Amino acid sequence: MTQKSLQQRIERILPTVTKPGRYVGGELNQVVKPWDSVQTHVALVFPDIYDLGQSNLGMALLYDRLNQHADIAAERAFSPWVDMETAMRNEEIPLFSLENKRPLIDFDIIGVSLPYETLYTNFLNILDLAGIPLYSKARDTHHPLVIAGGQAVFNPEPVAAFVDAFAIGEGEEMVFEIVAAHQSWIASKGSREELLTRLAGIPGVYVPALVAVKYHADGRVQAVESVHPAMKLPVDKRILAKLPSPLNRFLVPNVEVVHERVSVEIMRGCTRGCRFCHAGMVNRPIRERSVDEVLTAIQAGLDQTGYEEVSLLSLSSSDYSEIIPLIEGLKALLIERQVDISLPSLRIESFSEDLMDVLQSLSPGGGFTLAPEAGTERLRKVINKPLSDAELMRTVRSVFQHGWKSLKLYFMIGHPQETLSDIEAIADTCKAVLQEGRQIAGGRAKVHAGVSTFIPKPHTPFQWSAFDDLTAIETKLALLREAFRGTKIKMTWNDPQMSLLEAWLSRGDRRLAPVIESAWRKGARFDAWGDQFRIEPWQAAFAECGLDPDFYSSRERGLNEVLPWDHINAGVRKAFLLDDYQLSLAGEIRPDCRERCYACGILASFNHLRLAQPGGGWKCP
Amino acid sequence: MSLNPQVAAVTRIRVRYAKGNALRFIGHLDLQRLWERLLRRSKLPVRYSQGFHPRARLNLASALPLGFISDEELLDFWLDSPCPLTEIQARLAEAAPPGLKIHTVQQIDPKETALQVQMKASEFTVSFYDPPAATELEQKIAWLLTQEVINKTRRKKTYNLRPLVLDMQVINTLAGERELWMRLLAEPAATGRPDDILEELGFPNTAYLVRRTRVILG
Ligand code: SF4
Repeated sequence: MTQKSLQQRIERILPTVTKPGRYVGGELNQVVKPWDSVQTHVALVFPDIYDLGQSNLGMALLYDRLNQHADIAAERAFSPWVDMETAMRNEEIPLFSLENKRPLIDFDIIGVSLPYETLYTNFLNILDLAGIPLYSKARDTHHPLVIAGGQAVFNPEPVAAFVDAFAIGEGEEMVFEIVAAHQSWIASKGSREELLTRLAGIPGVYVPALVAVKYHADGRVQAVESVHPAMKLPVDKRILAKLPSPLNRFLVPNVEVVHERVSVEIMRGCTRGCRFCHAGMVNRPIRERSVDEVLTAIQAGLDQTGYEEVSLLSLSSSDYSEIIPLIEGLKALLIERQVDISLPSLRIESFSEDLMDVLQSLSPGGGFTLAPEAGTERLRKVINKPLSDAELMRTVRSVFQHGWKSLKLYFMIGHPQETLSDIEAIADTCKAVLQEGRQIAGGRAKVHAGVSTFIPKPHTPFQWSAFDDLTAIETKLALLREAFRGTKIKMTWNDPQMSLLEAWLSRGDRRLAPVIESAWRKGARFDAWGDQFRIEPWQAAFAECGLDPDFYSSRERGLNEVLPWDHINAGVRKAFLLDDYQLSLAGEIRPDCRERCYACGILASFNHLRLAQPGGGWKCP
Repeated sequence: MSLNPQVAAVTRIRVRYAKGNALRFIGHLDLQRLWERLLRRSKLPVRYSQGFHPRARLNLASALPLGFISDEELLDFWLDSPCPLTEIQARLAEAAPPGLKIHTVQQIDPKETALQVQMKASEFTVSFYDPPAATELEQKIAWLLTQEVINKTRRKKTYNLRPLVLDMQVINTLAGERELWMRLLAEPAATGRPDDILEELGFPNTAYLVRRTRVILG
């Protein structure tokens, strides 16, 4: 099939699908390089629809950085929605890139972004639509190299069989090393094995084919060993001592996407140490971007896009040390351009009256979000998000006094050591908050409770804990619904079955590959979508593969057990996590390490980087 | 930002532009958002509504269905302070995304009625991916033009399509391809849709590409 005819065939099916503008590219600031003008073609894939993937900042950054290189072209591909998938399969149209409308199989490297586990079936679907063999071992030198990165792959094992190499940690430098290794391998005319061993030599790259896993008879992992000298274990994640420059070319989608705003990362990492928080553990250390750099990036972003909103991204915006100067510095620009600001992730105890003053003046009318995560002081200590009831109510009062009318409170249920009285306390807290709001704002005060289910994630102090029992979760949700009945408090919650799937996939080992494949063959797709997700294909897939899903989700792991992800070093030592886990069992907290270092392992692993690039950004004391 | 109270100082600008292939699958609402962002990028003193979420005041002549391209689209917007037309044109062209080409920019009497109200008719050409024989096309057109009533249902509403077709012909392009040309009524309450007509003639929407070539104001 010629390239021209593929393009025409795509155009002919587009009038039959919903929102065809997702599949055409052609946006302002898209980068299209003539196909033959570069040596290496990289397809950046986000395995969900355009509307979500195009808003992903990590992917946008890689796209921007790779395309700045004269010798590399990065193009984008996303999951087709179900109607488009059917149309493509009917017409035998392979998955194609948005820029040159090239089949994915023509690319040298496929870089897949896996920020969460419920994308795994979409990932397989993409490989299949592209005509690339699902299993790494079935690919040869003619196939593209399949690389995966993102937050989920800190436990790469469940998808290890499908991926040629994982990029663990921050990819901004690593991608160029991967491309360089690929280019020199091409020049050497080597075998596929030679490519993999070259990649294994890059710090942060994990090649699962060069690693063997042994199991105990009961299914627990016995040992994980390298089978090739090039593959050194553990694999230390990559970090950058200083945050790389922000996006300098902002692509502007023509069709509506989830986030239409200029997003700039102000800080990476978090030192609060909430024990349930995967992002907080795997993204250490804290590195801040300077106020000037953020301001310049926002100005450029607004000029290039014409967006009406700015978003400052980090795990805990109010912990950014220059937050007030930053917002003050932004004020004039925001007012002049009539632009809104959103500042997600404010910590209850760390944002000040001053911050509330400026935020309210810039963006009145909007809602305010706080995340106490648990209903009682006791449980908040267990999860290391200490906050007294009095402090919470003080903040709530202040929020309403500043003029906000609607407040959203986030809670998690299913925490370790949780009892039903902790759940009742969630309801009581929300009611007390609403009452407080009514005293200040009258009948217009609104409270919304967002409830999600705790998932014990790898590389966190709770990695040994079990996922709560599904019936227990249902009981807790029912209790909350009952408690809110007849009140004006609105409650929304995540599907506990979807959380259970996430627990299986995030805590799994290599034996899950056939389970994922089987669930996908049974039709599982878009598992992160409430209207598409079904648990049945997954249950059937586990049964078919002779594996017990509870083994992964519902079992407390032994403290001496080899965990399936132990050979990936996320920077925080296992001994530190264990220590922290034991503190939690004793109900003890470990305060923010900005004031005092607890030797989590980050400085021990990466101090050489810090010394090589001194500067104020890195915040370990 | 407060609005300029002197109505006399408000300038109304009409843009004639083309919507090319790159924007073929961008629908009407998305096109409106695209124009709002384009105007913001242009940094022209565009007139905005008041309130927390100010929006540019825009007036598009006639919605172009998803999947169509166009040589001529019309849009009006308003400026709070005057600006030379050449500068407006240059700034719009610079801020335009791929697929949107600015043809002309002119100043309009602010008292003129809204563009949608002035709309009278649109002309379209239709090119076929697998061009049918000329005689087949001729016959279909002849049949359609001799009917008095052709009932068509769109979004559960039935309407008579025939009076919306003002004229229709087979044409040959310079490249030697056979195309269909049509002029359709485009009044606020009675707008002909080329895709409905083509469906009536037996062509599914995967068989052709529609291009609006002209909009006719009253
Ligand atoms: S090295 Fe010390 S200061 Fe840095 S993140 Fe770890 S515990 Fe915190």
